[in-house]
Amino acid sequence: MPQVPIERHTLDNGLRVILSRDPRAPLVAVNLWYDVGSKHEKPGRTGFAHLFEHMMFQGSANVEKGAHFSLVQAAGGTLNASTWLDRTNYFETLPGHELELALWLEADRMASLLPAMTQEKLDNQRDVVKNERRWSVDNQPYGDWDERMQALVYPDDHPYHHPTIGSMEDLSAASLDDVGEFFATYYAPNNAVLTIAGDFETDAALELVKRHFAPIPRNADLPPPPDMTVDALIGRDVRETVPDQVPLPRVYLAHRSPPFGTDAADALDVAADILGAGRASRLYASLVREQRLAQDASVFVFPIVGGAAMFAAWVTARPGVTPEALEAATLAEIDRLTTEGPSDDDLERVRNLHAAHAAGALERISERADRLSMYACLFDEPERINTEVSRYAAVDASRVRSALAESVRADNRVTLTYVPAEAAT
Amino acid sequence: MSGRPAATAPRPYRFPDFERRQLDNGLGVWLVPLPDRELVSVQLVADAGAASEDEARAGVAALTAHLLVTGTQQLDAAAFAETTERLGIEVSSESSWDSARAGFTALGDKLDAGLALLADMIRSPRLDEREFDRLKAERLNDILQARADPGRLADERFLAQVYADGAPYGRLSAGSPETVEPLTVGDVRAHHAATVAPDVTSIVIAGAIDPSAAMAAVEARFGDWTGTGRGHRSIEATQRGGRRIVVVDRPGSVQSELRIGHLGIERANPRYFGALVMAALLGGVFGSRLNRRLREELGYTYGARCSFDPRRSPGPFMANAPVQTEVTVDAIRELLAQLERIRAEAPSSAELAEVRDFLVGVFPLRFETTAGIAAALEPLAVYGLADDYWHTYRGQIEAVDEAMVHSTAQELVRPDEALIVLTGDASAVRDELEQSGMGTVEVVPAG
Repeated sequence: MPQVPIERHTLDNGLRVILSRDPRAPLVAVNLWYDVGSKHEKPGRTGFAHLFEHMMFQGSANVEKGAHFSLVQAAGGTLNASTWLDRTNYFETLPGHELELALWLEADRMASLLPAMTQEKLDNQRDVVKNERRWSVDNQPYGDWDERMQALVYPDDHPYHHPTIGSMEDLSAASLDDVGEFFATYYAPNNAVLTIAGDFETDAALELVKRHFAPIPRNADLPPPPDMTVDALIGRDVRETVPDQVPLPRVYLAHRSPPFGTDAADALDVAADILGAGRASRLYASLVREQRLAQDASVFVFPIVGGAAMFAAWVTARPGVTPEALEAATLAEIDRLTTEGPSDDDLERVRNLHAAHAAGALERISERADRLSMYACLFDEPERINTEVSRYAAVDASRVRSALAESVRADNRVTLTYVPAEAAT
Repeated sequence: MSGRPAATAPRPYRFPDFERRQLDNGLGVWLVPLPDRELVSVQLVADAGAASEDEARAGVAALTAHLLVTGTQQLDAAAFAETTERLGIEVSSESSWDSARAGFTALGDKLDAGLALLADMIRSPRLDEREFDRLKAERLNDILQARADPGRLADERFLAQVYADGAPYGRLSAGSPETVEPLTVGDVRAHHAATVAPDVTSIVIAGAIDPSAAMAAVEARFGDWTGTGRGHRSIEATQRGGRRIVVVDRPGSVQSELRIGHLGIERANPRYFGALVMAALLGGVFGSRLNRRLREELGYTYGARCSFDPRRSPGPFMANAPVQTEVTVDAIRELLAQLERIRAEAPSSAELAEVRDFLVGVFPLRFETTAGIAAALEPLAVYGLADDYWHTYRGQIEAVDEAMVHSTAQELVRPDEALIVLTGDASAVRDELEQSGMGTVEVVPAG
C-alpha cells in the first residue's frame, strides 16, 4: 500500500496545516476541519452547529451571498460542508491553478464572517435547515432512527444525546447573537486543521496559506472540551417500539462501544464487517440468503471519539416475518461470532475488502484530505491515514471475540423496532 | 486582500488515451492503461437492458442482472460470494433501460482472478430457482419500500402519468409488481440466453494494467465465447400531454415532493449539449435558477433541481423539489415561472459563462478514479459515440452560446404541457391547488 505523503506545519496563530502533494492529476483539494460539532451545543440550541455551517455559505466581509459556491464552481470546482457530532468540515476540490481561490474564500469567512450576517439570511437558512430536517427525518420512513437511538444510548445530559440536525423548536430559537457567539468561540485558527492535497508546489502553497491565514487572530479563550464521560455500559436492556408509515418492520440494535481510534474500536470495525459487509457476510448469508427472514442487513460503528461510540445494526423483515423472530435470528448470529470467533476465511475476506475499499477511497484527493484533517483534528496524528489498513489487518480472532464480549451484550443494548402503523394499534 | 485572487497558469488535462479492439466473436474490448494507479476497474456492458426484454416480461432484465451474482455452474451463491470477496472484490451487476452492466474494482494484482470469475458468471451462470425466488421477493419488497418513501413514490407516479398508457417508459426499468409477479426462473434463463452474447457486449478495463497482458487475459476468458444477442427493440415514447396536477395522497406528510415536467430527449438528439448546459443553468448546479430561487431566496426547500434523462428514445425532463406543505402551491408557481423565464429570454453571458466554466473545469475531477474512467467509456459502447467523444467534449460544451441555450429552452422546455405530480397531504393542499388555476387536480391514493 503506497504511503500518503504528509508534511505538517503550525502557524503562529495555532492553525494546523497539513500538505500532501500528489501531482498525478491537475487537481487540488482544500479541506478544513473545525473542532466543533453538535456535541458542543448549548442546551436549547440543538442543531445550531449545523445551522451555523449553512451560514458560512452566506457570505463574509469580501464575499457576497452565494459567491462562495459560484466562484468555486465557475473555477471548475466542487465544494460542500458537513456537520456531525464531533466536528464540522468544509471542503473544495478544484483545478490546481485555482488553489488560492479556495484558500482566500476559507480565510475570508474564518476571519470575517460576522460583517456579512443579517437577520434575513439567518431566517432564510433556518427555513432551509428545517426543510432539510423535514426531508431527511420527519417525512422519511424510519427517518428518525438515529435521533431515537442516540437519545436511548446516551444519558439525557450527555453531548451525544441529541441529534446533529436538532429540534424544530431549537432551530426556531437560534438568533444572530448565537451566530456571533458561536463564531467568536469556535471559528478560530487554533481550533481548526487545514489540509491541502493534490497538485501544488509545497513552498508556494505554504506561502499562500500564511498570506491568507496568518493574520487571523487566535482565540485565546477556547473553551475546554465538553465532558463526554459516560459509563462504558448502558447497564440494562432498553427497548422501544415505533409505529411508523412503513410497510416492513425494521429492528435497530445499538450498543455503547469504545471510542473511535482505540484498539477495541478497530476490532469492532472488523466484527461489523464480518457480520454485515458483502454478500458473504454472516447476516446476509444467514438472514437474507439462507433463512430468508430479512430483506437487508447492515452493521456499522459510529466513528466518534467522545466517551463512548456506538456499535449498531439494522435488519429489515420480509413480509410475514415478525420483528421478534428477526431480532432473535440476528442476535443468534452475533452471539455465534462472539462465542466461536471468526474463522481465518472471515478475516481474510474482510481484510481484503477493507484494503480494496481503502485504496478506492484514497484515489480521490478530497477523501485523502478529509481523512488527514480528521486524524489531525481528532488525534493530532494525521499519520494514522497510513496505518488504517495495517491496524485493521492486525485484528485477530481473539480481539474480535473479546471486543464483542465487552460491548455487544444484552445489558448494553438498545433495541428500536419500527412496525407498520396500522399493525401497531 | 479583498478581491478574488488570480488563478495561475492551468495545467492541461487530457482524457486518458485508450485502445479499442474487438475479438473475433465480436466482443468489444476497451483498454485504458493508467500506470500510476493501484486499482483496476472492469466493466462489462451488454445490450441486454430493459429495452431488450419482452414487454410481457417487464423487469426480467433487472432480475437477470441481480441473479447473475448468485453463482456459477461451479460455485453456488455462498461460494461465489466468498470466493470473490476473499479477493477483495465485490461484483456488481445491474441493468437500466439501455444496457446491463457487470463488473468490479480491485487491486491490480487481482485482475486475472477477478476476470476469470466474471467470465464464468456471464458465460455459465447458475441462475437457480431458489435464488431466483428470493431475489424476486426482494424486488417486490423493494417496491413496497419505495412506495412508502415519498420521493421514490413521486418519481414512480410521475413516470406513470407523463407517458401515454402502455408506454414502456411509463414504468421503472426494473418493472412493476404486476409485471414482476408472474416472472419465472425460466424467463430469466431465456432472457440471458437470448441477450447476453459477445457481439452485443463490450468490456472496459481501466487502471493498473499492461494492455497486452490484459488483452491476453480477455482473449483467454472470452475468446471462445460464442453466440449472438438479439439486441434492443425500438421503444415508442409518447406522452399523455396537457397541464394536469396529480396529488398522490399521503396523509400527514410535512412536505410535498414535487415533480414537474414532460417528455425530454433521446441520447442521439442533436441538441444534447445545448440541453445539458441549459439544464445545468436552470437546475443542475447549486447556484442554478431553481435552487437559488426556491432555496436561497425563499427557503421553501433543501434543494430544487432539474435534469433530462436521455435514453435511446426520449426519456423525461423533470424538475423536482421537496417543499414544506404550507408553500406547495407557491412553490409550484415559482418552479413554473422559472420554466417560463428560461424560454422567454436568453441568459446573460455572465450567467452562462459560470455554468459552462463549471462543466468544462470540473472535467478532470470526473475522472479521478479508475471506476469513473471505466464508466465514462460505457456510453461510447452503448450509444456508439465517437472514440474522441471525451477528447472533444469540452469543446462541445464551450460551443453552447446564449442563443443556443435560448432556442434549446424554447424547443425542449414546455411549461404549458407540464405534468405536475406531488406526493403529500391532499387535505392540506387540494383546495388551494384547485383555486390556483394551474391545471386540473386529481387526487389519487398512495397505495
